[in-house]
Amino acid sequence: MLETHKLLERQAAWQKGRAALTWPEKIHMAEAVREWAAQLSRARSRMTAAVSASRHPGTGEVTTREAKKDN
Amino acid sequence: MYILSGMKEVAELLNAMRDAGVISEYALFGAIAQMRYSEPVATLDADVLVAVPFPQTLELLKPIYEFCAARGHRPEGEAIRVGAWPVQFVPVFSPLTQEALEEAETVDFEGVPLRVVRADHLAVIALSVGRAKDFARILGLLESCSVSREQVARLAARHGLADAWTRFEARFLNA
Repeated sequence: MLETHKLLERQAAWQKGRAALTWPEKIHMAEAVREWAAQLSRARSRMTAAVSASRHPGTGEVTTREAKKDN
Repeated sequence: MYILSGMKEVAELLNAMRDAGVISEYALFGAIAQMRYSEPVATLDADVLVAVPFPQTLELLKPIYEFCAARGHRPEGEAIRVGAWPVQFVPVFSPLTQEALEEAETVDFEGVPLRVVRADHLAVIALSVGRAKDFARILGLLESCSVSREQVARLAARHGLADAWTRFEARFLNA
């Protein structure tokens, strides 16, 4: 329990330390997070499109029966 | 390894827009401004408070959009994409935001001057909006000691938000 408490204290101190970064550095961090989120979103869209296309080549449509099966 | 900042490009655009007389003044607010005072936070866009020379016109933001389009910056939803950032232009909408704009500070952002609202104005604007993320912003500003409870209380009272501040204190600070 004592170790956990120390770990939490160290983590809290590390998080607070980020507040001491310069404003441009913090904005660079936020930009990096945005970029990762955008990449995840793009990857998910590509996967969805690929699944649809494999079911109905040319249309990308999913039939009602297949949609029910997925649910 | 971080990607190149788009905020410097935003700063250059905003300064050029003011120098050209398209806007009278500007200041960053919202999450981007908050990061000046507290830990980094996740945000999808950059919010800019603006004063325009002819606030009575119906299409307040049209000259801004035209200025941006002439420089290759296209609309994206309710924002304009400038480099890495969708930038939302928000005309001053109250005496509080007018004061925040007038008393904003000019900061050196990687060699470019950039105006940003003060922490106390940021906190009281958040109080006036009152969403969960705005309350989190106030708590973040208080925790970073960028602003004191007394400063927020004074400014809130001056702008008719004393009751809102009392409720906030009771809910989040005195609980």
